[in-house]
Amino acid sequence: MEKIIDINYFELFAGYALMLIPVFVLWYYKTGLVKDVLWATVRMTVQLLLVGVYLEYIFSLNSTLINILWVFVMSIIATYTIIQRSDLNFKLFFIPIFLSGIISIAITDAYFLGFVVKLDNIFDARYFIPITGMLLGNTIKNVIITLDAYYKRIDNEQNLYRWHLANGANHQEALLPFMRDALKISFNPLIATTAIMGLISLPGMMTGQILGGSNPNVAVKYQIMLLITIFSSAILNVVLTILFSNRIAFDNYYNIKKGIFRNSKL
Amino acid sequence: MIKINNLYINFQTEIIYNDFSLIINKGEKVAITGRSGMGKSTLLNLLAGFIPEFKGQVSINNLTLNHKTINEIRKLIAWLPQEITLKFNTVNELFFAPFEFDLNKNKKPSKQEISELFNTFELSTNLLSKDLKEISGGQKQRIVLASCLLLNKPILLIDEPTSALDNSIKEKVADYIFNKKDLTVIAVTHDNYWAENSDKVVHLG
Repeated sequence: MEKIIDINYFELFAGYALMLIPVFVLWYYKTGLVKDVLWATVRMTVQLLLVGVYLEYIFSLNSTLINILWVFVMSIIATYTIIQRSDLNFKLFFIPIFLSGIISIAITDAYFLGFVVKLDNIFDARYFIPITGMLLGNTIKNVIITLDAYYKRIDNEQNLYRWHLANGANHQEALLPFMRDALKISFNPLIATTAIMGLISLPGMMTGQILGGSNPNVAVKYQIMLLITIFSSAILNVVLTILFSNRIAFDNYYNIKKGIFRNSKL
Repeated sequence: MIKINNLYINFQTEIIYNDFSLIINKGEKVAITGRSGMGKSTLLNLLAGFIPEFKGQVSINNLTLNHKTINEIRKLIAWLPQEITLKFNTVNELFFAPFEFDLNKNKKPSKQEISELFNTFELSTNLLSKDLKEISGGQKQRIVLASCLLLNKPILLIDEPTSALDNSIKEKVADYIFNKKDLTVIAVTHDNYWAENSDKVVHLG
């Protein structure tokens, strides 16, 4: 096995120069996202530098309770990020989004780690935390896109929604076209990415494993299973989020509540 | 029968209805007229359950309007909004959309029923195979109205049903609806012909 080429701190710093491209584009088109992208980059750097430290500590402890607590913390941060990015009312949406995340992770983690990988202890820190992190990280994007597409379209196209309700649709039937479109918008890119996997893009986890010295065949098998698990977890998370949040986003007459968006008045 | 008693509706500081009462008997055709912003569409929205915060008593066919009865009330009505910005790809999808709902599946009209009504409304049934973008606002308005009528609900709530129509077609559409004796119709309208031929005119403002 060839020696892994390390990246020294000067090279790491030089790598940041690539961020000048997105910063310039976002500034040039006056998107208002320059501050956000800089803040996200700083956060990403600090978080990843810290992750090495605390993962080493958590791995050495390998306590089921601490591992589960850690996943809860990750889920809370994921929930906060989703609500923040989708402009929704924090108080109303925290519980449905958090619950959907926990349930979808519990199901897909249990299946993948317990049935596919056949771990004796599915809460083993070395598997449970990174796999859950990958699932959460990958599903956040889909939940944000779906929630945004779903609720903003219902709000913007109330005529269509009301036309359905007032002409005989039950609540599920009136929501169906919005759900269908939100799922299409959210999952079309993931389907496209999955379809070209290996041809154009080499997924991060597999690349990481190969760079770390793993057998490429083992890395590929893990990656295939992970992509399938991510897909299932994402769609489960998205559907549960919509189903749970439907219960709090509409009044007793099935009208969309005025206060569901962060900047609207309750 | 529709009974509205001592209705009070406000949107923040603006009072839309204050101590408003109205009785509409079965089969009556009622025109709601008045300047913009006087609450004409609000009345239709109220009856369809889209204004949950109101004071007073509203009942439709002996069902008191509240969250417990709204499902039953919505089964009795067909509703045509003023702005028909309904996003469908084809005319066929738009026309048949309400008949896809469980409640209306057994009401799907026959080709003959569609043909007769389209004929009355001066529409060609060939329109059904067209893209929605290819038809005019007036054609779209008549197609959605035809779809609502073929649902055969006892109460029709329509907002400016003839606003995009030529005078000659306006009268045909109005006459067809006025001749349906058992159908209760509440129409928000600026159309003189419609108002003059209605059983009752409620002028707001």
